[in-house]
Amino acid sequence: MIIVLEGSQRRKLHYYFERMFALRHKVFVKGRGWNLPTVNGEFEIDQYDVDDAVYFIDMDDSGAIQGTVRMTPTARHSLLADYFPHLIETGASPRSPLIYEATRYLVLPARKEESRVAKTRLILAVVEWCMSQKLTHLQAVVDTATLPTFIEMTPRTIPLGLSHPYGGGRRVPGGGECIAFRWPITLEVLEDVRAYGGFDEHLSGWAVHGQYGPEPAVVEAIH
Amino acid sequence: MSFTGDEYGKRTLDFVERLQNLTDVSEISRTIVQELEWFGFTCLTAFTLPGPGAALADGIMLNNRPAEYTQRYFERNYLAHDPAIKELRHNLNPYTWSDIRSTRKLNKLEKNILDEATEFGFHDGFIIPIMTLSGSQSLFCPCGPEPDLTPRARAAIELIGIYSHNALKRALVRLQKEQARRTPLTPREREIMQWVAAGKTDEEIGGILSLSATTVTSHVENAKKKLDAFRRTYAVVQAIRYGEISL
Repeated sequence: MIIVLEGSQRRKLHYYFERMFALRHKVFVKGRGWNLPTVNGEFEIDQYDVDDAVYFIDMDDSGAIQGTVRMTPTARHSLLADYFPHLIETGASPRSPLIYEATRYLVLPARKEESRVAKTRLILAVVEWCMSQKLTHLQAVVDTATLPTFIEMTPRTIPLGLSHPYGGGRRVPGGGECIAFRWPITLEVLEDVRAYGGFDEHLSGWAVHGQYGPEPAVVEAIH
Repeated sequence: MSFTGDEYGKRTLDFVERLQNLTDVSEISRTIVQELEWFGFTCLTAFTLPGPGAALADGIMLNNRPAEYTQRYFERNYLAHDPAIKELRHNLNPYTWSDIRSTRKLNKLEKNILDEATEFGFHDGFIIPIMTLSGSQSLFCPCGPEPDLTPRARAAIELIGIYSHNALKRALVRLQKEQARRTPLTPREREIMQWVAAGKTDEEIGGILSLSATTVTSHVENAKKKLDAFRRTYAVVQAIRYGEISL
């Protein structure tokens, strides 16, 4: 099940946030060696974990987190605008009240057959949410090596420029190449992603739960 | 929307946009080959590496290398020895033949394989490994006499390769599905369509095959239905597309 939380709920629903920040630390700081701000040596939290950030958490039946992604408004700040503006070659503005940026996307390795479904389930929830908010696009900065997978999800993936080296480039450990892309938030893209994950037309990711955060009753049940 | 990048960026983003509107395999292939020519690439092989027990030929999505080159490659099983393929064991980032020559110690056979390409006028090539969630390893390999392999060119070609691979794959899957869905022509219908393609009238075909013109017309009408064509000229195009007849 996918739950959708807002940054402003961090204190009230700290149970979820702590586990998500801890998992982010494990995957990005420990696992990938990214140089990210760490709180108490345990949680990965940065300047984009703001009140109006929106978090998608995919949890299995036992309540363990299988995947998570963060969506942030781009009207003022974003990874693309603040750190990677050179990735935009089209002259488009990285800022828009109708574009959210996806970051900290992680899906825990599942059994091979499930990996595609697990990855898609989270993204489907994000696209559905974007539609409900009447956004025009979602944008992301990703490692160029992962771009083929996003294009496979939907060929309507729009690159904002060519790829550029980061961290010293590909030949350097911890370095690589990255690229910025956008997905238009349309029915076609939604259908593409559904088809990619092999999802039934009527299955929706987050809409089943319909609102930010679980009801208190649900939280108790998981505990 | 003003463009802030250079020619490489602009061309590539235009190419990606154009590709998104195409669904026909031949049109897609033509568009890709044309774009690569701007960089000085005269040939392209795009394929998926065969899994255990599978044939390389089945995984080829586009190949316009000279027939002699391709034939020799298969006959001598170069796939098993090609240093450009072996490089994948060390490196999943794009690389050129020149990169391999300068960073790897090549044995005689490996050097030969690269050198033989120059006999056909290919002095350098670029290999873009493409891996998707579906798991298989694909390669996008343009080559040419003196291709542009500057850093920006490489970034451009990589993006061209990634989008091209996806477009080809989708179009081929669509074609396969269409093939599976449609009813193939009967041998008689095929024979008659071959004559139609050669420009013969129904009367002439009737004379050639000892049939009445009406019978010929009725076969052509059946073929048109199967090929989903309103006119016989389009039926010819479709018949060629589906490999029912050839020119």
